[in-house]
Amino acid sequence: MKRKLYYIFLFFLALRLPRTMTQAEIKLCSLLLQEHFGEIVEKIGVHLIRTGSQPLRVIVHDTGTSPDQVKKALCVLIQHNLVIYQVHKRGVVEYEAQCSHMLRMLRYPRYIYTTKTLYSDTGELIVEELLLNGKMTMSAVVKKVADRLTETMEDGKTMDYAEVSNTFVRLADTHFVQRCPVVPATEDSDSGPPPPAPTLVINEKDMYVVPKLNLIGKGKRRRSSDEDAAGEPKAKRPKQSTDNKEPIPDDGIYWQANLDRFHQHFRDQAIVSAVANRMDQTSSEIVRTMLRMSEITTPSSAPFTQPLSSNEIFRSLPVGYNISKQVLDQYLTLLADDPLEFVGKSGDSGGGMYVINLHKALASLATATLESVVQERFGSRCARIFRLVLQKKHLEQKQVEDFAMIPAKEAKDMLYKMLSENFISLQEIPKTPDHAPSRTFYLYTVNVLSAARMLLHRCYKSIANLIERRQFETKENKRLLEKSQRVEAIIASMQATGAEAAQLQEIEEMITAPERQQLETLKRNVNKLDASEIQVDETIFLLESYIESTMKRP
Amino acid sequence: MAGNKGRGRAAYTFNIEAVGFSRGEKLPDVVLKPPPVFPDTDYKPVPLKTGEGEDYMLALKQELRETMKRMPYFIEPPEEKQDIERYSKRCMKVYKEEWIPDWRRFPREMMPRKKCKKGPKSKKEKATGQGTALTSTADVLKKIEELEKRGDGEKSDEENEEREGSKEKGKDGDDEDDEEAAEQEYDEEEQEEENDYINSYFDNGDDFGVDSDDNMDEATY
Repeated sequence: MKRKLYYIFLFFLALRLPRTMTQAEIKLCSLLLQEHFGEIVEKIGVHLIRTGSQPLRVIVHDTGTSPDQVKKALCVLIQHNLVIYQVHKRGVVEYEAQCSHMLRMLRYPRYIYTTKTLYSDTGELIVEELLLNGKMTMSAVVKKVADRLTETMEDGKTMDYAEVSNTFVRLADTHFVQRCPVVPATEDSDSGPPPPAPTLVINEKDMYVVPKLNLIGKGKRRRSSDEDAAGEPKAKRPKQSTDNKEPIPDDGIYWQANLDRFHQHFRDQAIVSAVANRMDQTSSEIVRTMLRMSEITTPSSAPFTQPLSSNEIFRSLPVGYNISKQVLDQYLTLLADDPLEFVGKSGDSGGGMYVINLHKALASLATATLESVVQERFGSRCARIFRLVLQKKHLEQKQVEDFAMIPAKEAKDMLYKMLSENFISLQEIPKTPDHAPSRTFYLYTVNVLSAARMLLHRCYKSIANLIERRQFETKENKRLLEKSQRVEAIIASMQATGAEAAQLQEIEEMITAPERQQLETLKRNVNKLDASEIQVDETIFLLESYIESTMKRP
Repeated sequence: MAGNKGRGRAAYTFNIEAVGFSRGEKLPDVVLKPPPVFPDTDYKPVPLKTGEGEDYMLALKQELRETMKRMPYFIEPPEEKQDIERYSKRCMKVYKEEWIPDWRRFPREMMPRKKCKKGPKSKKEKATGQGTALTSTADVLKKIEELEKRGDGEKSDEENEEREGSKEKGKDGDDEDDEEAAEQEYDEEEQEEENDYINSYFDNGDDFGVDSDDNMDEATY
């Protein structure tokens, strides 16, 4: 019976059905969807996560939502790559949630900020627009970004479309944005009715090809008559009619942010800073050079980069770096000999062939994260025991006490604490076939992969807690927040119409001193909670990258 | 390894010292309740990272949160009617831009369907990517005013009745336009809501699983 189940399990593994999500992940997805898209989208999205692939009718029936609402929600989710659709037999279209993509919403600020550091404000806004809208045509992005940048410029100055286009092309060239799959062109003489849903395809070669557009124009400022003087949401205006007069030159060619490329960048950043921490600035620069040389040539899931010769590395070092060839070779040897094994030597030609061991590096980073968590939660002596067991792989109780030089009682206490939280596990080795406990070795060991999964699960829970607490804090002070917003609006409108300082003072005093205090506290708390979310997401990224690297076929 | 309670005291089947208790020592109490929800921690957490990048990301995060609420993708839940419509609520209402999906990329069943109308009007075919040119903005504003005048207590049944009963060409024309535009523009109007409800009422579960979804064109009301 057990064997049958095992085979069934293998079968599913081969089919690579999406794994069921843990409760913590579902909860987190629910909170994220609710914050970004509202309750209705959240309801549909969470339903799909729980139930797997479903057709429209079943979703409508099971969630008790009106078909129109369900359609709108699905459109939003599909647009943002959070739900995919597939045509099954008999023309039934089924919809499936992409839980991992939903969790990426946590990382949007990091993606946008990273682009800012690499491609400045223009690049930042391009990626922001793509993330906020899911997918867009290049012409739409360029126009929108030009308008936004123009808003921030001094009066009279505008942002040219050409400049935005250039940045867009650079982002495409470095693979930070990519083309979405397209609707295949069908001949008109197709027999039968059109399919219930298009099957979108994309050719690898076309993914980063920028269409030849001649976008000429400048950004436009919003006219001041459209805005309320208070800068509040725009005054009532008739529904916008789209500019259907001009044909869109790149109609049907949509772009999206390439999250994998960003992840590759984050991973490289993490490796470089780890080397800098462990060794020195120069070593980290060498590693950074090697990673940069491998950016496009090595797929992001590869276990190690393509071998690079010492000569090539020397030629590719950044211009300002003046180290001699011998010094470079010494550094490379040092890096290759380091027990962390970030860099490996794969041959001797060309002055020495070196690779970066990406999978090993990720494993080291994950392990370091675990060590750090143990240290901060249980203390440095516990951390010493943890590192010891990591190093020696399997240790008996007595050996732990001896090697760690910690008294028996405390050592036991610490080991059991870590055991109960699943950082450490117990391996039984029976001496006799009857597995008698008195005649069995019990060895402590650290299974890095399962400890990493456990920690990742805790991270999801942590972020869910942080979000809930933040929402609670905001809700508690809702009345006060609304009051403060109204007061600000009044002040702004009064300033615009030219009020005296005394009048403004009077309005400001509508908020009493203790209320101000309360608002200050609220702001501080919300900032802290938000910042914590961002940092926990950094840990999540490391752990997810490591776990993912173990799942790929070598 | 059945726990053989031999004569006299029960003996452990394993070496109790291996676990850390000496023989004869009092074992700790059995825990009868789940651990506390907010346990005390011995070690306080490390302070958060600070720096230019972190500050920028924080501001960005909060800004994004606000921006997303104003985007057309944020679908407001249908609000419960309040007794008195607050003036401030009307003023602070955000008018969102509409989003029209590129229907070529979506399954055909995603497109909103024409609503059931008892009038003799024939259904216009909705071509893909048809423009949303609103023929008369003035009429829309008039409609909005009417809605406001109507008050919140009465549901849209009245509006439905009025619409369906009325034979005024102009009014119907407006409604048609309004509705078509509303559908195409994904506006959250109450009439749509009410009609949807009736729509699904006709759609009983008998069809589930029997026909393929190609037969969704049964909506020939």
